[in-house]
Amino acid sequence: MSWRQAGRELRHLRFQTALALCAIAVAVALPVVLLSVGGGVVAHELDALQHSGFQIVVGASGLHGISSTHTLSSRIGALANVRASSPLLSLPLTVFLPGGGEAPVLAEGVIPGPFLATASPQESGLFPQPLPLGDPTDSVHFANGTYRGPATNSILLSSPLATARGIGTGDRIGLSASGNRSQTTEFNVTGTFGLPPSLLGPTGAFVAILPLSDLQLRSGTALSGSGALIDGSDSIEVALSGSAASDSGAVASVASAIQGLVPYYDVATQDQQVAALLDAESVLTGFYLALSSFSLAIGFVFLGVLLVRRVEALRAPIALRRAVGVPARSLAGEFARTAVALGAGGAALGVVAGIVVVRVLAAYGSPAVSAVAQLAVFDPVQLLGIAAAVVAVAMLLSLAATRAALRLSIPEALR
Amino acid sequence: MSEAEAPVAELVAVRKEYTAGAVTALAGVSLQVGRSTFLSLEGPSGCGKTSLLNLLGLLDVPSSGSVRWNGRDAGRLPERERARLRLAGVGFIFQRFHLLPTLTAAQNVELPLRAIRRPAAQRERRVAELLDRVGLTARAQAYPHQLSGGEEQRVAVARALANGPGLLLADEPTGELDRASADTVLDLLVSAHRDSGAALVVVTHNPEVAARAQRHLVMRDGRILSDSAAE
Repeated sequence: MSWRQAGRELRHLRFQTALALCAIAVAVALPVVLLSVGGGVVAHELDALQHSGFQIVVGASGLHGISSTHTLSSRIGALANVRASSPLLSLPLTVFLPGGGEAPVLAEGVIPGPFLATASPQESGLFPQPLPLGDPTDSVHFANGTYRGPATNSILLSSPLATARGIGTGDRIGLSASGNRSQTTEFNVTGTFGLPPSLLGPTGAFVAILPLSDLQLRSGTALSGSGALIDGSDSIEVALSGSAASDSGAVASVASAIQGLVPYYDVATQDQQVAALLDAESVLTGFYLALSSFSLAIGFVFLGVLLVRRVEALRAPIALRRAVGVPARSLAGEFARTAVALGAGGAALGVVAGIVVVRVLAAYGSPAVSAVAQLAVFDPVQLLGIAAAVVAVAMLLSLAATRAALRLSIPEALR
Repeated sequence: MSEAEAPVAELVAVRKEYTAGAVTALAGVSLQVGRSTFLSLEGPSGCGKTSLLNLLGLLDVPSSGSVRWNGRDAGRLPERERARLRLAGVGFIFQRFHLLPTLTAAQNVELPLRAIRRPAAQRERRVAELLDRVGLTARAQAYPHQLSGGEEQRVAVARALANGPGLLLADEPTGELDRASADTVLDLLVSAHRDSGAALVVVTHNPEVAARAQRHLVMRDGRILSDSAAE
């Protein structure tokens, strides 16, 4: 039986064929959606990572994370090939508004100069330049660890926060780590900044940026109760200069030099972060495939049942072939061709259905869903792999149909 | 007895039981079908005619006794071996035609030729020759549902002759045909038997068929009641 005849056989039992195609298509569509969207999100994150303005991140666990941040940042900045070293401290604070309301914000403490120097081109375009936070080095207020220099008390607010709460440049707001209005410090709003598109929707939309030393004082990460210096931060992002930024050997060398300065902190290069992300992606892919295996299993069970049902529906033609003397391997080949046609057809439909679902989500989903769906990446190799796996399993399932066909009693079937 | 002298098919004390012995279709039947014999088989429904035909054609296995083909015990061969013998040695014609609905008349005739792996050119020539023989050259590309009952049975006859079998088995081949079509099909069978020298066994209720046979068997209750050649 040729492939054309296999197609005719399938058309002969149209309803069964349509049901089998639908079952496989639905089964295949799920992994297509999960893998394409999941892969797209990871690809987006990788792209963001690879196009970020820094190549090395220093981090530390513990109550205050990194300590002696200003000094360490200066020492890192003095290393060969280092263009900028930017510490970051992130804390949730409460903003008390001029009109009497309040809003929770994610406050980011930065040193203004290096902060912009370690931002990606996309990020730096969102901020006013230079950052209107006063002293670009934050050393005046820090005053060699005494925090007795004059504070600028300047703050930048994200435009969603400023718009939502009617705050503009020149307004004065109160900032408190405790959420208590009586313990606020007044800041001048010196500007607003945009936010890059976020996969998490509005979650990170209320953000404030202020000098690191100001945030340290507000959050108790400047000095300990006994007056000892903490000068804490969460991380330090390090940008390399010129060609060293794209030379993994140079990046590794600088990372090694930093590690020498702070052997007890985590020093991760971008390559290591990419590798970690790829590891995470492989775990996620495994999870997606495990999840998809349920739908695929249901599709395969349906296909198996349907192939065996076809034997029942085609008892007489099968028995006739056997009566004539058509060898078992020819019958097996016929069932394999039918199964392959169903598997390949269903897989193709499933891939198309998956793509359509993702496109529909991208066009009509909620903002967060739409944003994620728009990142979907349809990897032809991956899609072909899914289709090939489906076809392979369909061929295996055809053995069940062949077995049923060979167990038919010819005289009974031809009666 | 040499293979050339041996009957083409032979049943020796064959019993066929169904439903774990609850139904006896054949109760110790012995029968020799010689080469170039035209044998008709008659009897009431349920007397065992079709069971006997199925055993002769190696479609079924006996409960006891033996089925010999060209002097060789073939009744209990594995299905793969029996299928090979059927393919080369038997042509079946059924009352209900049993053409494959998704194949054209030509493709139905070609089926045994494909199974025996004849080259495409030979297949094409043989199919054309057989369709010409049964008068259906013009209907070669028609599907079974586009054919009349008589035409379907003629296609079935052509298919049965495709591999030049030594034994033609026809189970009430004219049972569902009108008079004119029945005559045509019967003529075809008789001429095929005469021209090819194949043995022809026909199960029939049609006295005209029986009248043209060289040997006439009557069955009842799973036994051969009379054998005209033996009388």
